[in-house]
Amino acid sequence: MAVLQVSDLYARYSAKGPDILKGISFDVEGDDFFAIIGPSGAGKSTLIRCINRLVTPTSGRIVFDGQEMTALSGKDLRRARRDIGMIFQEFNLINRMSVMDNVLSGRLGYTGNLRTLFRAFPRDDIDHALRLLDRVGLSDHVDKRADELSGGQRQRVGIARALMQNPKLMLLDEPTSALDPKISREIMGLVKTMAQELNVPCLCNIHDVKLAMEFCNKIIGLQDGVTMFSGPTEQMNEATLDEIYAMEVL
Amino acid sequence: MTASSDTASFGLSTETVLVTRRRKRLVSAIVTTVLLALVVWSVDVTVVKDTDWERIGSVGNVLEATNRFIGIDVDLFPTLLGPAIETLLIACLGTFLGVIICIPAAWFGAMNITPFKPITYPLARLMMTLSRSVHEIVWALFFVAVMGLGAMPGVFAIAVRSVGFIAKMSAEAIEDIDHGPVEAIRAVGGGPFQVFFYAVLPQVLPQIIGVVIFEWEINIRRSAILGLVGAGGLGLVFFRQMNTFNYHGVTTVILAILIIILLGEAISHAIRRRMI
Repeated sequence: MAVLQVSDLYARYSAKGPDILKGISFDVEGDDFFAIIGPSGAGKSTLIRCINRLVTPTSGRIVFDGQEMTALSGKDLRRARRDIGMIFQEFNLINRMSVMDNVLSGRLGYTGNLRTLFRAFPRDDIDHALRLLDRVGLSDHVDKRADELSGGQRQRVGIARALMQNPKLMLLDEPTSALDPKISREIMGLVKTMAQELNVPCLCNIHDVKLAMEFCNKIIGLQDGVTMFSGPTEQMNEATLDEIYAMEVL
Repeated sequence: MTASSDTASFGLSTETVLVTRRRKRLVSAIVTTVLLALVVWSVDVTVVKDTDWERIGSVGNVLEATNRFIGIDVDLFPTLLGPAIETLLIACLGTFLGVIICIPAAWFGAMNITPFKPITYPLARLMMTLSRSVHEIVWALFFVAVMGLGAMPGVFAIAVRSVGFIAKMSAEAIEDIDHGPVEAIRAVGGGPFQVFFYAVLPQVLPQIIGVVIFEWEINIRRSAILGLVGAGGLGLVFFRQMNTFNYHGVTTVILAILIIILLGEAISHAIRRRMI
């Protein structure tokens, strides 16, 4: 069964504003590395933010892990978000905190307010964080402040933070846009390896079509909030790409 | 665009430029004249007509009156220590109490986190404006009238007067945060407290601490004069020396105030530099 089923999703930012998403449907299976491609303004970020309800869709269904995400609010929504890891374009780390504290913040969904206040995370969490930091290659930077790291290193912290949640799904919002091509490929490779190792499906917004073709097994192509293509990567061809990115050429 | 003649490439002709320059000169001449007339008029009304020239007498008399203040009353030293410490304490406690009042004021007054915009936001803005638009002496008069003489009305006056600046700066800092970390903490399933404590507070804390220390330094200045209206500290001693025409005593108190203010400035500077 699919981990995530999105059907007929519509979203807009204000009551009278234009629809950003116009009837998007797709399923993410347990071992998918799913790419969302399309030009700027196509609605990729809105789509990915609807999944964990950072943006509330206007209509449509999002079934994640057997629950209807659009119906959740308050505590139930926070509980559901704990199972969805997210990696951001601008990393979104807490700059003034250490790498360790940033990775541990992935556990905040499981942490009470009093523990939060004293940053008193259980031993298991510390242990888990150290292992993850080792896996993403940041063992030497545990106590550094997040803003002392390079872009690629910061995104590795972001990956460790997301994996800290033991997620059942990973959302990646343009994870490589702020990085140079070489580091981009490294980061994508790292996410893919970790995702396969931990059996986590990924849903990834990505600008760079070449990276999408290289790392992802399924692709959905958006243009102006409408699905232009949806299918396995092998079926994607030059003609379809030209069509998806037609607006950019103009 | 045609580039046939060599003058056509300039958009403006010499004549147009000259005319606009002449007009600008005329306008600035008129503005200057009006401003000068205003200055002359205000000096006439406030200084020439409003001063008791008989009482001032000659230049010699003024110098003589000034001369009375030169000198220090050593006998006053032991009695200054208590009020000096009291002045410092009023500033510290007042700033502390002010910070506590600022927590709801900054929370309500930051557009992006205010709990119920139509009511809480204007309420916070009202608190800030009220705090700043009333002078500390007036606040002290009010609290002395309510609580009686002593240091406590001074503490309250300082606290209430501090809210405007600290809360306004804090609210603005909160409004200017990078929204990314907020999104990240919400995405891991964090609640409102966790979002505030992880994503908001670390971003604004250094700025707020800087503002509070700056305000504390200003509050030392403020608490030094609050005694004038009976709210404790060095101001009270100053007032007494003035009333008993002990001019050397007045100078002594002024020096004491100066020393305390310099001390406060040095401490504030040192802390802020270490932080940044």
